[in-house]
Amino acid sequence: MPANVYLPLLTRIASIKEEVGGLRPIKTFRTEFLDGPGFEHRSGQCAMISVFGRGESMISISSSPLVKEYLQFSILKTGRVTTALHEMEVGDIIGLRGPYGNGFPVEEWKGKNIVFIGGGIGLAPIWSVFQTAMMRRNDFGELVLFYGARTSRDIVFREELGELKGKMPVHLSIDVAEPEWKDYVGFVAANVADKKPKPDKAVAITCGPPIMIKTVIKALKDLRFQDDQIYTTVENKMKCGIGKCGRCNIGRHYICQDGPVYSWAELKNLPQEY
Amino acid sequence: MDNILPKKDLSRWLEKMAHAAVYAPRLVDDIWSYEIVTDPGSVTLEYPMTAVPAKKIIFPQREILFEYGADGDSGPEIKERLPEDKPVVILGLRPCEARAVILTDKVFGGELKDIYYWRRREAVTLVGLVCASPPSANCFCLSVGGSPRSREGLDILLTGLGESYYVQALTPKGEKLVREGGALFRPPQPGEKQSAETIQAESEGKLSRELKDIEDVPRKLKGMFDSPFWDEESLSCIRCGICTYLCPTCHCFDINDEAVSSSPLRGRRVRTWDTCQFPDFTMHSSGHNPRPDKASRLRQRINHKFQYFVETWQCYQCTGCGRCISLCPVGIDIIKVVEKVRDHAS
Repeated sequence: MPANVYLPLLTRIASIKEEVGGLRPIKTFRTEFLDGPGFEHRSGQCAMISVFGRGESMISISSSPLVKEYLQFSILKTGRVTTALHEMEVGDIIGLRGPYGNGFPVEEWKGKNIVFIGGGIGLAPIWSVFQTAMMRRNDFGELVLFYGARTSRDIVFREELGELKGKMPVHLSIDVAEPEWKDYVGFVAANVADKKPKPDKAVAITCGPPIMIKTVIKALKDLRFQDDQIYTTVENKMKCGIGKCGRCNIGRHYICQDGPVYSWAELKNLPQEY
Repeated sequence: MDNILPKKDLSRWLEKMAHAAVYAPRLVDDIWSYEIVTDPGSVTLEYPMTAVPAKKIIFPQREILFEYGADGDSGPEIKERLPEDKPVVILGLRPCEARAVILTDKVFGGELKDIYYWRRREAVTLVGLVCASPPSANCFCLSVGGSPRSREGLDILLTGLGESYYVQALTPKGEKLVREGGALFRPPQPGEKQSAETIQAESEGKLSRELKDIEDVPRKLKGMFDSPFWDEESLSCIRCGICTYLCPTCHCFDINDEAVSSSPLRGRRVRTWDTCQFPDFTMHSSGHNPRPDKASRLRQRINHKFQYFVETWQCYQCTGCGRCISLCPVGIDIIKVVEKVRDHAS
């Protein structure tokens, strides 16, 4: 870490991809550091993105650490900074500082089956570790992906998900029925309960809105996943990223540093305040 | 190295500190606070608890972290704005304020140091004053690990003896500041040493309030997380944030950009005090708020000080200064709240 942890490194937006349009648009940005190699990250870690004049926002890094050429962020337009990001163009300069947080214990999962369960923009934090698992395919057992969105128009990584079909089990869902929709209709937790992934030699990773995380964990428990086989990544409002500004805590944990990745065995013992 | 400084020579000692920015208590618009000394002759150390704690000097309410800007087609550049490293002296500090600095050091230290805090922290010399009588009607420092004669965190401890100060230099920084006073100081007579010791010992018997038998409070709080207790206790809160802004140990902050212009791009990134008592402190941009009501926010304040901080650092994040009690506009009393937790059946 640099002597002054608050100074962002400058990066150039190398590409912008529109994932979702409409009122809740999502874009995927790839950034390249202007000077030097920047920083390396672990899957599950976040970075503080600066839009100069608008401020900072903590966003999970959705590219695999195995990809060195760029960092990827998939961002829902929702607040002051993300709205500004959505107005930016390729070549524009933004700041990055980090990486922050603990990341997923990927090396501990060698040889295991992994169930990935994402909802909405919550697929982004999981996407990094999912990409790593795909690139190091022989290091892991069976991979299964669940992903749910509000409507078919809200699905992120649409192309990438399309390419996966037939290569591995991909269970998509939308909340409410649509005429052309062939996959599951209902919430993600219900889809998990319906497809019944097996807990044997497996870990499950889930991320999405707080209510989805809670219902998915219950569904996994019903399928006899043990508390230490369930992982999630929590988000809270953050300003510093280094456990000092005081707002992202769950109990004594500052999730910018001690999280955002927790096993349910750890998280269930913290105050349920997230 | 103990010394005697006649009170009439305090201003002459201050004059010898011209190389430093010296803060001392001053009455401004009927409110006591630590202000930069411009007239050494007017400085008095006869003062009650200041409203704003000395944390404002090491951790200012607003500070610029860096400036950013761009000219023409070139990308933005960042200009770091570190605090000056000019020496600072805080004179007449209450011992609880120095303890607060020690607690705040823990937060801003660690592996990821906060360079802005430490620049100021390392430049400061803390000259404390024994509270021979309690400076506030809500002092309870003894109950939370402090004392009106605590030396923790201080570089010099002064004890008022009638016409003079008994001066105890506690660190090399303190010794240096005494040396700068030169002939203003003289060695103490044996009787003066004894008087100082008596005043210090008696100070502990004069506290206005206490918060007894709280060893089990951290465990109790853990069990009371979902208790309706917090709804009851927070009913009167008007979420003004005074309890935390004026707390010497509260350190929460916000970071925002102050845009000067967008074309050409000019502005600065600024850090300001913030408080867990404001609703938007934890509110996600989605509208979801993990601490959505007054009950969860009062619980956060008490839990942080009497459970979470204890779990991490093995001490309370409270110095017993009583400001949050004296200055709360609706009379929420942290002593009473913690006593109720202590006495809660669980």
